[in-house]
Parts: sequence; C-alpha cells; structure tokens
Amino acid sequence: EDAPAAVAPSSGPASERGKQSRSGGGRKGADDQEEEEQPLQAVLIADSFNRRFFPITKDQPRALLPLGNVAMIDYTLEFLTSTGVQETFVFCCWMSHKIKEHLLKSKWCRPTSPNTVHIITSDLYRSLGDVLRDVDAKNLVRYDFVLVYGDVVSNIDVTQALQEHKHRRKVEKNISVMTMVFKESSPGHKSRCEEDDIIVAMDTKSQRVLHYQKTQGLKKLQFPMNIFHNGSEDFEIRHDLLDCHISICSPQVAELFTDNFDYQTRNDFVRGMLVNEEILGNQIHMHVTKDGYGARVSNLLMYDSVSSDLIRRWVYPLTPEANFTDREGPPCTHSRHNVYRGPGVSLGHGSQMVENVLIGCGTSIGADCHISNSVIGSNCNIGDNVTLDCAYVWNHVTISKNVTISQSVVCDRVEIREGVRLNKQCVLAYNVLIGPNVSLPDGTVVSMHHPDEEEEEDDDEFLSDGDADASQSKEKNKQKGFNPAEVGVEGKGFVWKTSSLDDTEDEELSQCLWGLVLNPDPESDSEASEPDDPDDPVIPSPEMDDVKVFELEVLGTLQRGLEENIGCDNLVVEVNSLKYAYNITLREVMQMLTRVVLEFPFQQQQGVQLSAAQYATVLLPLIERWAPLFKNYVKKAQDHLDCLSAFEEHFLEQEKHWPAMIKVLMSMYQLEILEEELIMRWFSQGATTDKGRQLRKNQGLQKFIKWLEEAEDESSEDE
Amino acid sequence: MPGADKNTDLSERIEAFLADLKRGGTGAGPLRGSAETARETTALLRRITAQARWSSAGDLMEIIRKEGRRMTAAQPSETTVGNMVRRVLKIIREEYARSRGSSEETDQQESLHKLLTSGGLSEENFRQHFPTLKANVIEAINELLTELEGTTYNIAMQALEHIHSNEVIMTIGRSRTVEDFLKDAARKRKFHVIVAECAPFCQGHKMATSLSQAEIETTVIPDAAIFAVMSRVNKVIIGTQTVLANGGLRAVNGTHTLALAAKHHSTPLIVCAPMFKLSPQVPYFPFSPSHSYEQRSVTHSLWWVRREILSKVNVYCPVFDYVPPELITLFISNIGGNAPSYIYRLMSELYHPEDHEL
Repeated sequence: EDAPAAVAPSSGPASERGKQSRSGGGRKGADDQEEEEQPLQAVLIADSFNRRFFPITKDQPRALLPLGNVAMIDYTLEFLTSTGVQETFVFCCWMSHKIKEHLLKSKWCRPTSPNTVHIITSDLYRSLGDVLRDVDAKNLVRYDFVLVYGDVVSNIDVTQALQEHKHRRKVEKNISVMTMVFKESSPGHKSRCEEDDIIVAMDTKSQRVLHYQKTQGLKKLQFPMNIFHNGSEDFEIRHDLLDCHISICSPQVAELFTDNFDYQTRNDFVRGMLVNEEILGNQIHMHVTKDGYGARVSNLLMYDSVSSDLIRRWVYPLTPEANFTDREGPPCTHSRHNVYRGPGVSLGHGSQMVENVLIGCGTSIGADCHISNSVIGSNCNIGDNVTLDCAYVWNHVTISKNVTISQSVVCDRVEIREGVRLNKQCVLAYNVLIGPNVSLPDGTVVSMHHPDEEEEEDDDEFLSDGDADASQSKEKNKQKGFNPAEVGVEGKGFVWKTSSLDDTEDEELSQCLWGLVLNPDPESDSEASEPDDPDDPVIPSPEMDDVKVFELEVLGTLQRGLEENIGCDNLVVEVNSLKYAYNITLREVMQMLTRVVLEFPFQQQQGVQLSAAQYATVLLPLIERWAPLFKNYVKKAQDHLDCLSAFEEHFLEQEKHWPAMIKVLMSMYQLEILEEELIMRWFSQGATTDKGRQLRKNQGLQKFIKWLEEAEDESSEDE
Repeated sequence: MPGADKNTDLSERIEAFLADLKRGGTGAGPLRGSAETARETTALLRRITAQARWSSAGDLMEIIRKEGRRMTAAQPSETTVGNMVRRVLKIIREEYARSRGSSEETDQQESLHKLLTSGGLSEENFRQHFPTLKANVIEAINELLTELEGTTYNIAMQALEHIHSNEVIMTIGRSRTVEDFLKDAARKRKFHVIVAECAPFCQGHKMATSLSQAEIETTVIPDAAIFAVMSRVNKVIIGTQTVLANGGLRAVNGTHTLALAAKHHSTPLIVCAPMFKLSPQVPYFPFSPSHSYEQRSVTHSLWWVRREILSKVNVYCPVFDYVPPELITLFISNIGGNAPSYIYRLMSELYHPEDHEL
C-alpha cells in the first residue's frame, strides 16, 4: 500500500522558505521567478535490491544499519537537506514498516523540518527501475530531482552541479537528462569500492559522458571508436573517479524508465542512453568534485572504510559529535586522537582507547581493554581484558572477558562469552551467542537464521545473485541444531559459511559481504572486451548475441588475413574454429561470410562514400583472393542458394551499388564459386518483396541472366 | 489559530538556523563570518522575544536560555552565538530593573562585602509583570543590532591612529575586520602588508588578492617564513575568532607562532576584535579538540594516498590556536583600544555573571 505518510506543512511557509534558502535574485520577471522557485525534490531509494549484507539484513533493512551509531538513511537525508532539497520521496520495499517507523520518529518528519519527507512503500519494487517507473506513474516529480540510495554518505555540495545541470537544460532543451556526481580519488583508495570501479570517457569541454564502464578487474579495456568521432577535440578517459551514486535527474528520466521497461539499474539506464544516443537524442553529463566526501556503503568492506573515514572526520560537518539527528540527551564528546565518548560511558582501570574510537552512550568497558579504530554502540557491556581492533559493535552487545575481535561486525544483542576470538571479517548477526573459548576463523558468518530458511523465501523476496551459495550450504547444515564445535558449548547460531573450507562457493559469500575483488571469470572477460573491438565502427549493442559476435570475429579474421597475407587454408581453419566456439550452423557461416566479404570495402574505407565503380574495383580482387574460402563452404545446391540470398540481402540495402552487383556476380560465377544453374534458379525463384522484384528487373542483371542462358544453350549445343 | 501558526513559524525558523549552524558556521556553511552569525542570532532572539508566549521577564529569560543552549550546542566552535544570547539576557535584566525603578547599577556592583552579606542576587525572581517590558526589550535589542551593524566600520575608523606611512604590517589568514581596517588606512597612507598564507586552507591568498585590489602593496609569505620576515615588520595586526575571558585569543591556526615571533622581535601585536567576539569562556588545558579544532576535509594531498597506507595514517587538522594574553599588545574593538588586562572589565560590563553558564 502506498501511504504518503507525513506532514506537509501548509504551502505558505514552505515557499517562503524556498525563497530564503535559495538566496536567488528572483526579481527579474514572472518567468524567472517561477524557475527560481522550483522546489528541489529528491528520490531516495531505501532498498539496495541485492543481498550483499545478507544475514544481517534479514532482521533489519540496510538503510537502518548503524554507521557510527547513526542509521545510514539519516546521513543520506541530512545530505539531501543540507543541499537544499525540500521534498524527499523515500521508497522502501524490504522491511518497509521498520523504515517508516524510524522515519516517523526522526527529526525529518517533524513539522519544522525544512525537508518534507514522503514515505512510499510497496513490496513490488524489485529494482531501481521499478521505483522510477512508479515515480512516473504517480507523477511525483515535476522538476529536476536528486536520485540517491539510502546508504550514501556524503557532504558534497551539489548546488553547483545542479546549476550546471539546469543551465544545460536551458541551453539545449531536454537534451541532457542526467548529471552524475563523481569525486576525484586515486585508484586503490580505500573509499573506492573495487567492484564499483569505473572508467569514464568524457568530453572535456561539455562534461558529457561518452562512455561509462565498470572495470570489474579487467586488465584490458576497449572503447568504441565512434565516441571519439563526434563532438569536440578534447577527450578525457578517467579512472580516477569515485562514483558517489548521486545523480541529478530531470523528470524525463522517470519517463525513460517507463519507456524502456527492461532497465533495472542506473547502470542499464546510463548504458542505454549512451548506446542509443543517436536515436533518443539524450545525453548524460557529469560533475567532478575535488573536495567533499561521497561514498556508498555497498558492502561490509565499504562499511568499514566509510566508518573509519567518518571517525577520522573526513565527512565534516557530519561528525559523530555533531548530533545532526537531534537525538535526546547530551551529544558525545570529542577528544584527542579522535576518541568520542557518549554520555554515561564508563571505562575501567588500565583500559586504553588508542585512537579513532567511538563509544555510544551508556556503554561500560572493563579494565585493561585495548580499543582502537572501533565503533561501539550504546548500552554495551564489555568485560575485562578485551582487545578490539577495527571492530564494529552495535547496540546492547555483551562481551565477556579475554575476548579478541579484529575487523568484524557484531550486531545488536549479541553475546560473546569468555575467551572467544573473532578473526578478520567475521559477522555475528542479531541475537547470536558465541562461546566460551572458541576461535572463529576468518570470514565466519553466524546468524540465528538457519541457512535453509532462506531457501523458501528466496523466490519471492529477492532477485538475488547469491542463490547459488544458499543451495550449497544446505547439505552442510542439515541438522537443525547448533554445532558446538563452531559456535561454542553454550553458543546459539548457525554458521553460514566459512571461507577456510575448501569450497569455492563459500568464498563467494564472504566476498559478497565484504566485497573483495571477485576474480573475473574468463567468459565474462572475453564477452565484455570483444564486442568493443576497436576496428568495429558499429556500435555494439549491450546484449550482443553469438551470431553478431561471430560476424565481427570473421571480419577481424579476414582483415588480419589480408594484412598478414595468410593463406586461404589457414583462414578456413580459423573460421571453422570460430564456428565451433560460437556454436554457429554451417548455413549461418555461409551467410555471414558472404555478407562480410561484400561489406568489406566499406569497412576498409570508413566513412568515405564509395561509388559503384570503386566498390567493384576494391571487391573483385578480394573475391578472387578468397575464392577458395568460399568454395570450401559453398558445396551443395542449398549452400549456393543461401549464399545468393545473402548476396541479395546485401544489395537490397545498397541500392546505389547495383551497377557493381553484376560485376560481382559475374566474377563469382567465373571463379566457380556459384554455378550458373543455381544462379538461374535463384533468379527464377522470384522475390518476396517489392524491392527484390525491382532488383530482378535491373537491366544489368537481366542481361547477365540472358547471357547465362545463352551460354548454357551454347554449351549444351556443344555437347 | 493564528497563535499556533506563529509558533510553528518561529520554531521553523529556529530549526533552520540551528541546521545552518551545524553545517559549519565559520565560512563553509550558509552563514558567512561571525559578524553575520551575530546579526542572525540577535535577529532571531528578537523574533523569539516578539513571538514567543511569555508573561514575565523570568519566562522570557528561560525561553532564551533554552534556545541559547541548543544554539551553542549546534556549533560549539562559534562562540558568537552564545555571546549574543548573553547580551540579550543582560538586556532583559536591565530593562526589568529599569521597569521596577531600581537602577541596574546596584545589581551590577559586586564587591566582596556585598557577596558575603547579601543572600545572593538570584532571589530576584523576575516574576513581576510589566506591560511595557516587551516593547522596551525589543527596542534595546534593536539598539544592539544597530551596534552590530556598525562594528566593522567603527573599528576601521581607528585605523589611522595605528597605521603610519611607510610601515610594514604583517597579518595572517583572512579576517574581514582586518581587511577593512587596512583598506581604510590605505585611503590616506602608503604602507606595505605582508600576509602569511595560513596553510592548508590558505585564506591568506584571498586576503592578499583583496588588499592588492585596493592598491595596497601586498606580499604573500608561507607560514614558515613568519619568523624570518618578522624583523622587518613594524606592526602585526590580526583578527581573531574569539577573545577569551583572560584576554587570550582563540584564533586561526598559526597565530600562536606569529605572536611568539612578534614577541621575540618586540613587534607590537594588535588584535582587531569587535565586542561581540568577547566570550566569558576561559581556556582550559589541554585545549579540548572540539574547541581547538574542527577538521574539515583536508582533501588536497593526502586523499591521494593508497588504501594500505592511509589506513595507518591519521590526519589532524587543527583550525584554531590558543594565544596567551601576554603576547598581545592591544585590542582594538568598536568601542576603542584596550589592553588585554582590561578584558575582564569589559566582560563584566557586557554580560551578567549569572549568564556565563547558559
């Protein structure tokens, strides 16, 4: 059910505030004023539509997970409000009631909030595309809007980007549909999510995005040549950008999502726009910021780095002691070495808070503890002699003595008994009990939910990429009991995966959670790089089928053959191997080969218009050269006909070259690639289209056929 | 109900102001400079006085104290807000005393004898109702606003008394007060200004550009060169973020170095500070970081360090220095020049001792 919950204050004060905050000199005239007063809207998607945080997000939606003891969605809303957004639509799907509850309690839904928040929930959303289609259907946005996810932490001032965006739209009406915000950041910087690594080709002057690609660990990247042919002379190919996942969109974006119902993510949209630029005429621009901070918490590794950046005050003014959510009670204090203490924190004798530590209110810490680079939530109880390094301990957690935790996440209400050791990248989901005296190996994930439970819900809850992992775990945890060897004698919880097991599937989940670099598998590698063959002037469509790839491959082979003077026998071998690689039928091979050869002169003289005569002069030697290749494939009667139909198809498209057609046919006949009998048959078979009939009426062709008939007669007479 | 409308309008304004403060009052956010913050605060307090529901001075003071606490908590490094709240509280006390017919002088004088004999001033409960009080308080706040409008001008007026021809003046960073001060002097006198750039934010560059546009001979030096250049300097004129109760300063980072260098060379150090920067805070040690610095993103160089290295690096970027009063020669405020030792006296004139803690 959709429920625009909350509190629209009467339009009077809102518009007044608009005037105030927009500082605009909007006294120029009615039109100008109208434009000045457009309230800035935002669409916030409080769902990730993936399962990267999975066993954790089973109990709590990702947008509400605490980051520096504040729910992630609050950072996003604060970011939006501080850039001057006056109306935000929050779209929730998974656990929408929890998000709604949280928002209704927060300061964003108070009547005094300068940013009116509308909450829209539906279980039907499956992707960003669904949300935007709904935005379009409900007609929610009227002006340019900011599109963000509920897990973006940023202090970037997008005002400038917004002005640029509006300016572009004014100059060229409705051409630019989206402005993406990037932050400059060196490759390998820890706020760059490696699986989100991108490479962007842009036009320096207009800031237009020409090519946008996720690198996905590829060593070799290829760009379509055509992006460099149009526009200005200055291009930049940049790999030093961090995608902040903040985009300024025009209302058209929602419409475009409706028109293209197959777009699921922003990535689809951007690629679709870039590929179909000539058809749709829409462009995408970008804005690069040097200062400011913007990152999306897309996995636990990012959670780790964003948290530590937050504590090291990179996101100023969003610092832990700023209390921007207006929580009750005194805010936490900030002292040297970035140690933040909430009210009511007690620290035992000999305990050290080394550096970069945030401790929420009401937490008590025992004696001789050693805490560094960690966040501890509120009302936790930590025993004596505990060592925490890079630990993220949420609220109401109990940790007994002699516990060591490094680089792990411990969720709400977890209990850790004596002598437990959590190695790197462990995750203890809600309510788990561990111990005493166990050591969890690297990457252990423990949850109160049995891994099997997930199976049943899988189909209706999420479109997941982790389905495969789930089924794997089934055998392992068939018994519905806690395994004391894994979680300790008193332990409660199911171990999901252990990356130390010799199981490739297992590693994948841990990597999913922590988002380590996935080794790109060879198939996707080749698929991603080959379509972008630099010699290929055709814009590769995103979903390239095998036949198309095969055609390009054949073209490449022939070109190479020409350049390196490879004999026809070797070419045959190459084409055969390609045929098997792409699983192409012999008939298709024939058609492709014919088409490729006939188009070959165009490929060689890119962009230059060839006259019929020139075409013929280029093509004829080629046909002569590759005649053995043809003969190898064109054997049966049907082969001849196929070859001829491809021939016909080609010339139907190239009407201007009909004069050359006859020469080509002639030479193919003379080279004994095609037999006269079958040419006659093809001719007499008649055409299916008007154009085909026209082709057959072509004088040259008719003459040629006549000549063939006569030749046949003669030869038969000779016998 | 019109009353409710008024109330929501008021609280909306307060929230908006708080949000602006949180987003960085000192230059980065929508509020630029402490003069503007002071004006905004006072205007908001006037609005509260006019629109909030109160029947006696005590009620009003309670309301203002409450809002004042929230405002100061929103941006602890911006002391101007708290100062203005205290000024307004003092105004209310004075107006109340005047309405009762007693002179505020009697309240003001605090001798040891009086402290010992009287049961304490707080017995005064401000509960009496005076119909004219509201108008009087608003009138007095308006006067305060007029005073605030004129502070920079009043300080600049005194420039010719301090800057003489062919002097070499050194300053650090960018202060609007100092900028106006120097420009005013430049109308009549020729002198040379050396600006320390004040890394890493390098506000000094802006200052130098602005001064040279006013045709003042200007040189920018790196902070490290302050000591070397000091021997040639006749006077150091700086601005400050806050003047503390002991006559010390909380000023932009690097000021302490500058003050020490000036002391070494016996160069006079003049601080241009409007009265609204006078704060009843006293420095306490160790200077708490949230008071001494607020880290902005120092994105310039270290952002480019790779992951493995950066996780072991802590970047600290203090914004303010504490400068002890013995290094300062003179304060120039909008009401004239004062020695640091006289600050305590100004303090007691401006604020009521009971308001020091909001």
